Amino acid sequence: MRTKAGIGLVVVALFVPLFTNEYSQYVVNLALVYVLVTVGFNIAIGTLGQLAFCNVALFGIGAYTTGILMYHFHWPFWVALVPSGIAGAAAGFLASVPALRGIRALYLAIMTLAFGELMRWVYIHAETVTLGSGGMPVPTPTFFTMSIHSPFAKFYVFLGIVVLVVTGTSNLLRSRIGRAIVAIKNNELAAASLGMATSRYIVLAFVWSGCIVGIAGSMFAILIGRVVPESFNLVELIQHFAMVMVGGVGSLAGAIAGAITLTWAPEMFRRFPGYEELFFGILLVVILLFLPRGLISLLTRFVPGLAERYYRE
Amino acid sequence: MLLQLVVSGIALGALYALVALSMTVVYRATTVLNFGHGDLVMAGAFAVYVLVLLVGMPYGLAVPLALVILFGFGVGIQRGLIRPMAHGPHIALVMMTIAIGYVIRGVARLVWGRDVMPMRKVLDIEPIFVGDVVVTGDDLMILGVVVLLTAVFFYVLYKTLAGKRIQALYQTERGAGLVGINVSKFHGTIWGVGAAMGAIGGALIAPITLLYPDMGANLLIKGFAAMALGGFGSLWGAVIGGILLGVIEHTAGAYISTALIDISAYLIIIGVLIIRPTGILGYEATVRV
Repeated sequence: MRTKAGIGLVVVALFVPLFTNEYSQYVVNLALVYVLVTVGFNIAIGTLGQLAFCNVALFGIGAYTTGILMYHFHWPFWVALVPSGIAGAAAGFLASVPALRGIRALYLAIMTLAFGELMRWVYIHAETVTLGSGGMPVPTPTFFTMSIHSPFAKFYVFLGIVVLVVTGTSNLLRSRIGRAIVAIKNNELAAASLGMATSRYIVLAFVWSGCIVGIAGSMFAILIGRVVPESFNLVELIQHFAMVMVGGVGSLAGAIAGAITLTWAPEMFRRFPGYEELFFGILLVVILLFLPRGLISLLTRFVPGLAERYYRE
Repeated sequence: MLLQLVVSGIALGALYALVALSMTVVYRATTVLNFGHGDLVMAGAFAVYVLVLLVGMPYGLAVPLALVILFGFGVGIQRGLIRPMAHGPHIALVMMTIAIGYVIRGVARLVWGRDVMPMRKVLDIEPIFVGDVVVTGDDLMILGVVVLLTAVFFYVLYKTLAGKRIQALYQTERGAGLVGINVSKFHGTIWGVGAAMGAIGGALIAPITLLYPDMGANLLIKGFAAMALGGFGSLWGAVIGGILLGVIEHTAGAYISTALIDISAYLIIIGVLIIRPTGILGYEATVRV
């Protein structure tokens, strides 16, 4: 059921460019980037259940890795994508170290929050590498000799990456590893007493999360065409967190739904200049009050077959 | 030079202490860490701004009125938005506090946009010279109010019946309920107290840093740093941590690099949590996630 729904969604997505103009296609591409951001973030705070708020740092590290490799070293996008994922994974590993040392819950939240803000300071001040607060232009990516400039071309590239990463994550979450991560979330001691090497799985979840968000950062860099420190501030982090919560924390399908909803909603609010932030805040409050388990709980209530087997709120 | 930095650092730190203390009060009693507290402080500052500069009240009348408004606001938030989710997953509560902050900022943005507003000084006097050290009217005002406020706070906490109830609540919520304390009602009151204390912080900081809708995020981080430094969840720790943070910011900024003024809070959070997660006054937190 879920596989069929997934394939159906991708087939429908293939025809999206028929109905969009340049701008709305850009918004769709942005939604694809946020799908990966949310899927990655959700592994750390939903599946594993650790309040690691460094997602925006991972996102920024991925974006800057691509920016630096393409701007300074003229690497093609395809090649820069891999180190961006690796850099994100390395930063995710770094974030798992305090979690392993017993810094958990709100302590971890505040520490990772500080890490994210520190990284933004680094982007601004490491001017020789990042070109400072003005930002770094990212060259147009090419595929062999073909230039990927139009948002429609980018869409198919992004869709391919997203389908690959989401399928991989879905498989991973249903494997022995994913079940172990959920078990650790529910009761770490019980999981350890069953012989699971809990710390290994915690590190793995952080690294996998960081890798996905790093890849998303890389896509963000070529989507915007410029990497600016201000793209990775606290407001951006709130957006990521809101996408996970609105979709349904801990659910892969929920992450996708949350990302698409909250990329689309601000575009609707643009019709009311000045009110955007207020409406966004009210939307969050209302969803949290009336749908505390997120949009996915609405979906699975009507279509129970879509429920994920190992999903735990 | 050093003495001057320490004095002005203490004055700034007293503000951080107030913000951290008002967050700790709520955190200890309800186990909810308010990530929107910075925006509550901003709301307090704007309430005073509206009453003083737009309505034309004197400070003596505007500040108490702003306190009452923010107290009611805090109680209302707890009743309407926090209490219905109190038994849900903790992570949803974290999101809720952020969302509330977002709404408050949204309202301020709606009215004031991206403007930065100056605020009249509370105590407009010539700076006082003590030897080589300059003490401004702002410094005096902040120190006076914060010392008075913390004195009142700790007196109430240790010497009155209401304080005993808060202490009981800090120790065990269930036990407090068993001996007849209305826990749910008390949570509302404590949210109100936290918001009102934050509002005083906002009213004091506005003349120094100017007034703008985004001022909350910075104050939130400073509050976190003060709490981490002093010992997360410790009331005295919040006070000590805040003052130390102010002094560290000023001295590190002057002697090492001005860039450190911006990032010392982040470095302190990361450093303290790695080396000694319980801070100066060690307090073992009850984890609820």
